[in-house]
Amino acid sequence: MYPMQGDDDKLDSLWRAYREACPDREPSADFMPGLWRRIESRRTFSFSFERMVRGFVTAAAALTIAIGVYMSLPRATPAAETNYLEALAEANALDTPENVGPVRLELNDPGR
Amino acid sequence: MLVDFELVRRAQQGDGAAFNEVVLAYRKRTMGTIGRLISRSEDVEDVAQEVFLRLYFSLDQLRAPEVFEPWLYRLTVNAAYDYLRKQRRRPEFRMSDLSEQQVMMADAVAGGKVEHDQQQQKKLRETVDSLLGAVSEADRVLLLMKEVEGLSLRELEKIYRVKENALKVRLFRARQRVLKAFEAAERKSENG
Repeated sequence: MYPMQGDDDKLDSLWRAYREACPDREPSADFMPGLWRRIESRRTFSFSFERMVRGFVTAAAALTIAIGVYMSLPRATPAAETNYLEALAEANALDTPENVGPVRLELNDPGR
Repeated sequence: MLVDFELVRRAQQGDGAAFNEVVLAYRKRTMGTIGRLISRSEDVEDVAQEVFLRLYFSLDQLRAPEVFEPWLYRLTVNAAYDYLRKQRRRPEFRMSDLSEQQVMMADAVAGGKVEHDQQQQKKLRETVDSLLGAVSEADRVLLLMKEVEGLSLRELEKIYRVKENALKVRLFRARQRVLKAFEAAERKSENG
């Protein structure tokens, strides 16, 4: 051990040695082509994603306009304006003779 | 600056040739820094490419070419930090993390007895890597930027965009933890 040297100094020496042991290094021949491949790949992905998003936005806008136009159209036929209950009432009107005619009682019921 | 401001300005405007020149000028230094930050030689080139990839897509956010170098350091620090986080290969530091051989290496380095052959360099890297296991990935990067890359507090302030005093405190704590690990390893070596 090194009694004259504190652990702080030893640590500093270790950092220096580490710096020397890991010098700046030369990149491989494929560094630049590899980098440009990655840039192009990211760019293509971003472009495709952008196009997809733009497509979705356009489709959503078109759908909104179509629904808006449909909702704002006046209903041309009266039948179209009747709702379910009105249609049902019309089909089974309460003032038909079967419903509003006199009630006939069978007085000669043999069971009585 | 390894390149002039005009070149950076041209690269910012989308000039591919100018960007190429910027990369050629800085790639060696950037790879060196990354190599010391992550201590995994096989992944250095990949992380360096990630740094320049981020540079390419963020150059338009650079306020002025004068702050290009801190900007590039910032991207380097972030990419190295992301890599270390992904790796998650740094368990909590334990005394047993340092082998007897590594402890002897640390001592030998401190005593100036090291012959820098490849094998010893590898062991030295492993030693430092083990000691840095005592701190978080973020503190590891910060500590190495200060102690090994030799950046000043003012430079670190520009890179991290954090007040100098906050950096000092953080650096002090990180260094204390590494020092504690170092002392523990020393004691272990003495007893063992």
